[in-house]
Amino acid sequence: MRRVLLGGVTALVVLFTVAPLIVLVFSSFDDGKFFRFPPREFSMRWFEAAFASVEYRSSLLNSAVVAVVATLISVVLGTAAALGLQRTALRSRAALEMVLLAPLTLPLVIWAIALLQIYSWLGVGGTFWGLALAHATFTLPFSVRVMLATLSAIEPGLELAARSLGARPWRAFARITLPLALPGIATSAALSFFISFNDVIVSTFIAGSSWMTFPVRLYSQLRGQGIDPTTLAIGTMIIASILIVVALTELFNRKASRA
Amino acid sequence: MKRPGPKHYLLAPGVLLVSCVFLAPFLLLVVLSFWTQPEGTLLVEPSLTVENYLRIFSDPYYLRGLARTIWLSFATVFFSLLLGFPAAYWIVRRAVRLRRIVMALMLLPMVCGALLPTLGLVNILSPLGIINGSLKQLGLIDRSIPLLGTQTGILIGLIQAFLPLMVLPLVAVMERLPLALEEAAMSLGARPPQVWWRVVMPLAAPGIVAGSVLVFCAALTSFVTPQILGQGKIATFAAMTWQQASLVLDWPFASALAMVMLLIMAALACMVLGFRRLNWVRP
Amino acid sequence: MKTCWKTACSVASIGLVLGGASFAQDYAGETLVVGTWGGDIERLLREHAAGPLEEATGAKVEFLLGGSGDRMAKLYAEKSNPTMDVTFQNIYEAPQALSDGLVVAPDESSEIYGDLWEGMNDGCYAMSLVGLGIAYNRDLVSEPVEWADMWNPDYKGMIAMAPYPSSEGDGLLGVAARLEGTDEHDPDVAFAKVAELGAPALNYTSLDEVFALMDAGEVAMAPMISGYVLAALKEWDNIGFSFPTDPGPVLVRDMVCQVANSPNPELAKMFIKLALSPATQEAYAEELLFGPTNSKAELSEEAAADTVNTPEEVASLLQLDWPYVISQRADWTDRWNREVLGQ
Repeated sequence: MRRVLLGGVTALVVLFTVAPLIVLVFSSFDDGKFFRFPPREFSMRWFEAAFASVEYRSSLLNSAVVAVVATLISVVLGTAAALGLQRTALRSRAALEMVLLAPLTLPLVIWAIALLQIYSWLGVGGTFWGLALAHATFTLPFSVRVMLATLSAIEPGLELAARSLGARPWRAFARITLPLALPGIATSAALSFFISFNDVIVSTFIAGSSWMTFPVRLYSQLRGQGIDPTTLAIGTMIIASILIVVALTELFNRKASRA
Repeated sequence: MKRPGPKHYLLAPGVLLVSCVFLAPFLLLVVLSFWTQPEGTLLVEPSLTVENYLRIFSDPYYLRGLARTIWLSFATVFFSLLLGFPAAYWIVRRAVRLRRIVMALMLLPMVCGALLPTLGLVNILSPLGIINGSLKQLGLIDRSIPLLGTQTGILIGLIQAFLPLMVLPLVAVMERLPLALEEAAMSLGARPPQVWWRVVMPLAAPGIVAGSVLVFCAALTSFVTPQILGQGKIATFAAMTWQQASLVLDWPFASALAMVMLLIMAALACMVLGFRRLNWVRP
Repeated sequence: MKTCWKTACSVASIGLVLGGASFAQDYAGETLVVGTWGGDIERLLREHAAGPLEEATGAKVEFLLGGSGDRMAKLYAEKSNPTMDVTFQNIYEAPQALSDGLVVAPDESSEIYGDLWEGMNDGCYAMSLVGLGIAYNRDLVSEPVEWADMWNPDYKGMIAMAPYPSSEGDGLLGVAARLEGTDEHDPDVAFAKVAELGAPALNYTSLDEVFALMDAGEVAMAPMISGYVLAALKEWDNIGFSFPTDPGPVLVRDMVCQVANSPNPELAKMFIKLALSPATQEAYAEELLFGPTNSKAELSEEAAADTVNTPEEVASLLQLDWPYVISQRADWTDRWNREVLGQ
């Protein structure tokens, strides 16, 4: 009885977190311009429109490029920083950890406006690197957090053992710690990528005209003419691609654990 | 054998990035919050005044907004814990094959960003959405119940958005609790609720604290979710900051609002650190 | 075919601006950045202004999309080093940007200035003229619809409003004050009158949202700006739009501004000239029902009926004292939050 209750609560929780996305997917197939329940007619027209629009395609590509670069920076720096933190004395560690997690504490709107002013003074406003570094900065705390958790679960003795057997530090790291940390690296990469990919607020201010990202386009329209259902169709495709990535990782993990 | 010393070169790039791209604008905001905007212009002027802070703390409107935001954030923490704790427990203790899938599903909204799930929620809560539409179909109501533009609507959105931030640390901590402890308690005659209250909860406390802090901070600073679900009718502190920063263009005042928010979070962090220290002192 | 002809005309006209084809290649490799709204406006500007400019000069035109408030923020943040060359702003923003020295004042001696309706270029060049009127549900509200009908107790709690600050909000305050026999310089009266409406049924951010709720009978009336609204209303049989007479609709304008100290001032001027040309203005009117500011634009009967496009129509509109309204922005935002939204 109690087991059923616990399982039931969990099922409800999962349903609650996923329901809005299910509805989003569902409403992207509704023919109307503004979703209403019960829906009227089934239609694929928003998907057709999504594929037909050059602007949507190029902005999706922009988002992807920015997200990939930001993810690379965030994961590499985040992993290095987590390794560094792990080997730092407790006292300075807390302070350094604070610094690395700080970007989570300010509302992004106000931070973006201040950053825009600084970029403008430096003359890097509207550039690709300005945007990519901004994205790397607000995804970095997630990478650091995930990598700290991952590394703390890895037995430090393993790398030490390898070194005592004569392995050079870099080799010991590459052969022992890195493979063990791979799931964590994958997780922080996925988190960073999607958080960057979906960012609206920072990009609205920081992205220049050459690097207009998809969410900026979506949001600018949302506030003018209304929710363009085309964007719901694209949202559906984003969710589908996330699910595919998750499924592939799951498959990969199962194979790996069997091997 | 030599222990590896402190690796500053590993930390340097990350710290450098955060310092340049985050701390520099942050310092600018600190300075700005003491500047003013003279009459008739939107350009700011250097000065040293606490006027902006006085305005926040002397005006019941902003104090009410602050109270409302803090209350919404606490409510989000409470409900996330209420829902997240049993779910995390189930994931750790019962889920075997479903575990990864359940975790992935729970992470999904976080990975999708704020916008997409919120758009979905609008279609659920709107006057023509699923809830009101179903009630109308069933003949229970004629005119829609307002769900968007209410605190309830915002609360639902916040819980939905930030529940994963509660579940993740809970799962991480509970995984390390040996099952034997619970079994031992049971064998000594404790009933399951007692086991939960007296054994699992105290041991999971670090996870509860970590999750609560994450959820609280995220709810406090979140903007897109309350803005869209509140339809601009319910002002949260982040929405007020946005209105001042992006519509009124009073940046000194907006900076002061952001600083107040930051101070609240800092106070919370200090409390949590104090709590941890207490925990360490105890055997 | 017609579009082709128009494009050819624009290309020819810009050739004249440049004073010869040999000049044209000088701009190859340059990029002009134009800040504007996403959606139909972006599409029309690309077709009628950006496309021809690219063809004539070899330069590239890129659009920066967002709300006009975001662009204002960008102007101020980047004042030392602007990245935008041209920006589209609302009438409630442009004069402020000029007085703070962020945009270039319209050139009164230029030919295009003379083509625009007199007295419209406050701060920047006027791009389009629209009026704040009332959208309403035909089944719930009897015609003709006047401003005073919004205060009919039958519709209490069924009025939708735009978020504040906005031209819609300022316009409503101006109307409310006039219904009480005064004007916007008496904000106490204006706010008291708007507050009588009670909290809005909906604080709308998009048109489809309002129309869907109006169609369903959840919202009876909403003060809205003609243009887009009239164009979108063709899809809704049971929703009407009224240009009231007592007082008249509030004149609202979109403005096009040349950013001060921008990287490409010459290209910016050429773009603005194309944006204000009859070709673009006619497309705005025919497709979006935005009234042209260029007096030389010629409209079809259909478009002429739904747009503000004659001197008489322009004269019938209610003009607010925008510089004064703008100077009250911070104060009125606070009052709107408290007194109208009841926060």
